[in-house]
Amino acid sequence: MRPKHKSVETRYMEERQEFFHSLKGLDRRSFMKVSAAAFGAAATRGLVPPTSFQPVRLSAGQGASAAEIHIAYISDSHLYEKDVNDRFVRSLLRAVDDVNQLDPQPDFVLYGGDLAQLGQSKELDLGAQILKELKAPVRMMVGEHDWYLDLGEKWKSLFGQPTYSWDHKGVHFVTLLSVVEKDFWTARGMSPMERMKTVAGLDNGVQSPFTVGAEQRRWLENDLARYSDDTPLVVFSHSPLYKLYKFWNFWTDDAEEVQAILRRFRNTVVIHGHTHQMLTNRIGNIHFHGMLATSWPWPYAPEGIPALTIQMSRPDPFNPQDGCGDGEVRVHSDGLVDKIYNFWNRNPVTVAREYTVSWGKESVPARPNRPSY
Amino acid sequence: MDYQLKELEKLVRDADVAEVPVGFDPVVWQAFVPGDNATTPERVALGKKLYFDERLSKDGTVSCATCHDVTRAFTDQRKVSEGIRGQLGRRNAPTTMNAALLQTLFLDGRSPSLDHQARMPITNPIEMGFPDGESAAKEIARDSEYQKMFRAAYGRDLNYEDIGRAIGAFERTLVFIDSPFRRFLLGDGDAVSAEAQQGFRLFNEKARCVSCHPMNLSNPLGTDNRFHNIGVSARTQNFELLAKNALAALAQEPSEQKLEELAIGTDLSELGRFMITKNRSDIGSFRTSLILNIGITPPYMHDGTLETLWDVMDHYNKGGEANPYLDGGIEALALTEEEIDQVVAFLFALTDDRFRSENQRQMERQRAQAAEKRPFRDDDLAFRRKLVFEERIKK
Amino acid sequence: MSRGMRLASTWAASFAVATLLSGTGSGEQEKKEGQEKPEGKALADSILSQWKRKNPERVSDWMAEEKERHTIQPPADNSDLLKGGEQSIGNVYGQYTEKDVLMWARETEKLVVEGSRIFHDAGALGSTVSVSCDMCHPHAANTHPETYPKFQVQMGRVALLRDMINWCVEQPVRGTRFEPDDERMRALEAYIYAQRRGKNLDYGKH
Repeated sequence: MRPKHKSVETRYMEERQEFFHSLKGLDRRSFMKVSAAAFGAAATRGLVPPTSFQPVRLSAGQGASAAEIHIAYISDSHLYEKDVNDRFVRSLLRAVDDVNQLDPQPDFVLYGGDLAQLGQSKELDLGAQILKELKAPVRMMVGEHDWYLDLGEKWKSLFGQPTYSWDHKGVHFVTLLSVVEKDFWTARGMSPMERMKTVAGLDNGVQSPFTVGAEQRRWLENDLARYSDDTPLVVFSHSPLYKLYKFWNFWTDDAEEVQAILRRFRNTVVIHGHTHQMLTNRIGNIHFHGMLATSWPWPYAPEGIPALTIQMSRPDPFNPQDGCGDGEVRVHSDGLVDKIYNFWNRNPVTVAREYTVSWGKESVPARPNRPSY
Repeated sequence: MDYQLKELEKLVRDADVAEVPVGFDPVVWQAFVPGDNATTPERVALGKKLYFDERLSKDGTVSCATCHDVTRAFTDQRKVSEGIRGQLGRRNAPTTMNAALLQTLFLDGRSPSLDHQARMPITNPIEMGFPDGESAAKEIARDSEYQKMFRAAYGRDLNYEDIGRAIGAFERTLVFIDSPFRRFLLGDGDAVSAEAQQGFRLFNEKARCVSCHPMNLSNPLGTDNRFHNIGVSARTQNFELLAKNALAALAQEPSEQKLEELAIGTDLSELGRFMITKNRSDIGSFRTSLILNIGITPPYMHDGTLETLWDVMDHYNKGGEANPYLDGGIEALALTEEEIDQVVAFLFALTDDRFRSENQRQMERQRAQAAEKRPFRDDDLAFRRKLVFEERIKK
Repeated sequence: MSRGMRLASTWAASFAVATLLSGTGSGEQEKKEGQEKPEGKALADSILSQWKRKNPERVSDWMAEEKERHTIQPPADNSDLLKGGEQSIGNVYGQYTEKDVLMWARETEKLVVEGSRIFHDAGALGSTVSVSCDMCHPHAANTHPETYPKFQVQMGRVALLRDMINWCVEQPVRGTRFEPDDERMRALEAYIYAQRRGKNLDYGKH
């Protein structure tokens, strides 16, 4: 009985035969040319990191444009103290190892928020200590789990102001505190820990929706005022800055107002955390990319998934690191990015610049064979 | 080889050759028999002759049965195998018992079928050493008896691929699934000891074995046929460096032969599945081994470094060996000594009844060795008193 | 304390508190005639909320609190049974009243809401690592109870929903497995099924 689907091994054997057949008789220089060309072709098809017969990682100078910025990210670690729970600490350390082994090292590492699980001093201290091991410079971003125990006191003492901006190689970077919630705790007489635990529950309906808030929007407008519309702009935010699913606070309530401020720029990229999954969206000229978590993956929301999103297939609960990982962002000179999801125990997935530029027609990332559920 | 043939006669009766193994789901069994190689008595007889024939090696010293010895649980019970001219390979020889029920062959799964795998060692420079399939076929075609047998079995002239098919057909008769545990699964409550039953419980629950080693009546082997990095060789390897070297070496000499040589003969062998798929997720991954008859097939793991089943338990109990590509499903298990003994008792209950005396011998030998030394044991890691990364966090 | 006793004591407690408060309220009013009622009510409310915080298990509206925190699917609407029709007249076992239908709904909800409470509470699950179910399954998403029985790959055998609940309790939650007739298991199952109300059964689906 001839099998209907070719197994990996059969495909591998055939691919190998074909590949080596085409290489027979090439001298070394020609081989390098051929493989570089093949690599380049694969890169434009959005198949950059490992597929069969491709180099393990992007090395500098191959397919890179001149002003490229290389960022690594680690996000959503949700640490408990290590005596309470060792699993999340292990995962964060794996991410730190991954980033430290990148060659060449990135320009900087973005930490995407939710370093602690319950905002405790010991959790944040542990996280800070671990992140000190990163060789490249680190830029920190706040998540709701870091903030709502003491409303940011410990965070600010460790990492400084949550909202800031800077310029790097011609690109303007902004980090927002986008998990501002309207006070729901005073009227109910909640203690700080009760408030924290309420916010910590993704599906807890007592908390308020995330916002950037009027004050920060004013700050953002002022900050951007001196930049021309052509300036490449990258915004780091914990909440997505658009409206996906309110029940899980995959949501920014004043998203339209924030997007209005960003609208005049030719290209804006938003890199966000909180969602613990592969997410891609584009609204006008704003391209949104979600970051993976190191701690655990969220399932996809029952509604509101953006059309551009190719969902990751359902993680296996036996492997607590399945569906988790870290990643990279490669910023091109026009400000648009290749977003690399570096999954653990899975192949990396790249959402290339061309994908969002073409509204999902080119460089389509591989689709999963199983439902994401 | 005569002593092996005599042993084989006792184990597999010729009369049963073409039938579905007793108690096995016939629909599932059929799925494992390739369409172009239905099992017939002629093919099995031919395969048997080839399996024991040293002429299939370049210097006439090695046959399949050298490393897959009938009297040594169809493997060689050595750390790594020895090929022609006394060369040592880098990998532990898997047993050919029940190999017919595996979904991919070789520890890195580079063979899609048993018929394909059976002919590969013939052209491996370390194992049997023929430069290519044609020369191997020419060598045995000098025997007119073979020519006749091939024509009778396959209706065509002797050729290299059919050598593999015939050996595969023979291996399909080497099905040994009648363990005390199988009788227990089929309802005989007394078939295994209380200790082993408790071990089975742990196997399914606290010890987390079942997720990669599922055992049920349709899949009695106890392997998920997938590839995992459990860190066995991580204590001696730097995987990132190896991966870079692998790609550099292939860039210098991009030939199929080179890939085979690299995969078996050098340090790059430790990269496992990665050499086949080049997938980053496969660095250092090897196929989950089957655990049926595991008691009689030491030493364990892809490089044979774990000598007893107690060593295997110690390795898992402490959460494998940390490395950047460790499978996230491997974690510290906090099993007590008693629990380890129970799981080991269960594992020894997975041996086919026909090998009862060998099983008993192994159990005693391994128990004696384990009583003396447990080189992989680390209770601090196992019970999470010390976490793997502890030294890195300066408190 | 058994469930029956707990309900009885809750009722008794809320009655006692109400009496206490109304006593205080009217006492206040008698003393200060010119004061408006809202101030008294505010004081009473704050005393009650303080008391609630100190006596969480004796609060009768724990269900409402839990439902406010976590959206829970309501049970099926059985009010069709009240429509009557000729056959219901003189049918001893076929006559139902509004109060019957209300009681069924409340009792059913109780088990489901209790399940939601445990689902979201690492302590109640017996977790030794502070992990609760909602960390991977907000609103019981991705639990797919309608696909059981099925071959559960992680367990290497065919499983029912409760087998998988126990697997999760033991593995990611790192607690102790529940006995089959444990009240907590029943409540968790109830909540998980409730959240998938309306989905088609599709047993065996991976």
